Amino acid sequence: MAVASAVAHRPSRLTRKRTRQAVLIWCFLAPSLAIFLLYRIIPLLWNVVLSFSYWSPLRAMRWAGLDQYEDMVHDDVFWQSLWNTLIFIASAPVAIVIALGLALLVSSEIRGRDVYRTIIFISYPLMTVAVAIIWRWLFDERVGLINYVARSLHLVDQPIQFLNSFVWALPSVIVANIWQMLGFYMIVLLTGLQNIPPNLYEAAAIDGANAWRRFRRITLPLLKPSLFLCVVIGMLNSFTSFDLVYVMTGGGPGRATELLVTYIYKLGFSQTRFDYASAVTIVFFLLLVSIAWMANRLSGGEAGAVERD
Amino acid sequence: MSDQDGVTPLWRKIIVNRFVLVPATIAVAIVLWNLYVSTHDHGVVAGRVVDADGRPVAGATVVLWVLNFTTYVEKTRATTDSAGRFVITDNDSHNIRLAAEKPGIGRSARVPVRLYFRAQDVELREALMLSGAS
Amino acid sequence: MHRYPRWPIHLALIGVSFVMLIPFYWVLKTSVTGENIFAYPPSILPKAPHPFYYVDVWYYIPFARYFLNSVVVSALAVVANVIFNAMAGYSLTRDFRAKPFVLLLFLSCMMVPFQATIIPAYLITGKLGLLDSYWGLALPQCSTIVCIFVFKASFDAVPRSLIDAARIDGLSEWRIIWKIMMPLAKGAIATNVILGFIWSWNNFLWPLIVTRSAEMQTLPLGLARFLSYQEDTTGALYAFCIMVLAPGILLFLLAQKEFIRGLTSGATKG
Repeated sequence: MAVASAVAHRPSRLTRKRTRQAVLIWCFLAPSLAIFLLYRIIPLLWNVVLSFSYWSPLRAMRWAGLDQYEDMVHDDVFWQSLWNTLIFIASAPVAIVIALGLALLVSSEIRGRDVYRTIIFISYPLMTVAVAIIWRWLFDERVGLINYVARSLHLVDQPIQFLNSFVWALPSVIVANIWQMLGFYMIVLLTGLQNIPPNLYEAAAIDGANAWRRFRRITLPLLKPSLFLCVVIGMLNSFTSFDLVYVMTGGGPGRATELLVTYIYKLGFSQTRFDYASAVTIVFFLLLVSIAWMANRLSGGEAGAVERD
Repeated sequence: MSDQDGVTPLWRKIIVNRFVLVPATIAVAIVLWNLYVSTHDHGVVAGRVVDADGRPVAGATVVLWVLNFTTYVEKTRATTDSAGRFVITDNDSHNIRLAAEKPGIGRSARVPVRLYFRAQDVELREALMLSGAS
Repeated sequence: MHRYPRWPIHLALIGVSFVMLIPFYWVLKTSVTGENIFAYPPSILPKAPHPFYYVDVWYYIPFARYFLNSVVVSALAVVANVIFNAMAGYSLTRDFRAKPFVLLLFLSCMMVPFQATIIPAYLITGKLGLLDSYWGLALPQCSTIVCIFVFKASFDAVPRSLIDAARIDGLSEWRIIWKIMMPLAKGAIATNVILGFIWSWNNFLWPLIVTRSAEMQTLPLGLARFLSYQEDTTGALYAFCIMVLAPGILLFLLAQKEFIRGLTSGATKG
């Protein structure tokens, strides 16, 4: 009798402990999950719902079908911001190539490379608003440093109105963005370079490969995961460069530097057209996801593994 | 409790740590600065008025303007004593202008004075020089 | 070993450093001299430098108030971050039925950038009654996926035998975490603190949306508003820039290693 009761007690104690552990785990997950639910998942779903309705803060929601999207197709500002955003995204690879060169230079055995690394990286953790103000002034047509240098070197006769011209405004913002992001790309690529075992280079050198072939056949393939990371982060950053554009040009002369993200902000908080802004947000999000997916496919998907023999 | 083997004691490791040293230095500097400010902020502006030959001028009127957003507005006036010195005691701004004049001798230019903090006690190094006919 | 000359590398790197540092020098110079606002051609060295633009900025705008707001919001966000992320990271090291689903949820949240959520996030914050408050400013930043995975990686590195021994000794979950896991996760905590602080300190869009009154604004907002008030007519704007950048640069120089390690390790998704 005592043995039977002892056997009957043991399983329930184990399940009690298991449920206690499960409760503990869910309690631990709860705060983070709540924050992501509240500020990522629900907003995304709410955006989807809003994009299919007419809504203003004073009136109730009505079903709108695809009307908002139809408005979007006929909206010139939307297409202009989309185009600007795509150009901005296309500038990320340029910065990554420059950063790759810098990473190669810094990773060579020279004295003071920590100093160089710090100097190049220091622009990344700065407040983008301050960076925007600094670059806005550097590009100024009357007293900006860039115009001064261009005129001293006699490249131009008249000062170029960088931030006021339809042609030069977006490239100027892109230059400021590259200045800020260069350090980040370089750090990621440096870490990737340092993970390449040097005996691969030595073996290739013994086999008679010159520097260019060593670079193409060893460095580039093994840097693929780092390069992919830089590309993804670079595109994400170009997509979401609200601070820089808002402070530097406010959208540009006309809409020359309007990005999708600044357009969404203006629609929502200047024009209070929350429903239309949601539709633009959905397009913005889908574009981002598809670009990340494409980058994933192009990079082969596989994080480069080092073949050890 | 220091270790006899020469390992650095715990308290020294905590202090020499850069995350403690730098904020502590900054905190000490802030406290010292606030002490200095609180002992020197009576709003006293003192100076001298001389004429074009360098002689002290008694009885000249000195006007104090303070910065109000983007313009200067007159705040107070003082008169120089027999040695040509004047003392203004109710300055509460950090960006002021002074000008002196005495009918019959001349007036001085508007001299901008910028202070490190509001109502800083300051003694003007150069005297206000009156020139030209009134 | 094939040796190549070093000086071209130094030359190139010095050139690049020059380009990266020139904006700082230029802003610093203008903030202490006030030239180059209207004068042309600009001078290279500062003439007659003075620190009075900094005094102007201190009194013209409530710099102390903006600074305090930024500090409070960042502190709230960082403390909440460390606690929530450590908890979530620990729970991800245990096995439970819904674990793959939760992992998928987290990874997909990484794909949703903050900018895609601003309008509903604003509405939600309004419904919670947190508009224009410290908690409303800090709440969306109270947990980040990158840091959760940093903690997870750091907890995964704790040898299983240590935990099992502690369990056999009868320690409760809480004590295991507090006495064994956390001391070994010091690096993750440091990374989380640095990254969380800098992200929260530099955040511009969310405070722009959420603050209504002038006294709840944070430093980036104050800086942008100052630009629209003062235009570029004095050195005060650039003094403000330097005052705003200085804490960030100081913190970065102090905690370089943790910052870089956090970026590179957290970026390789756990």
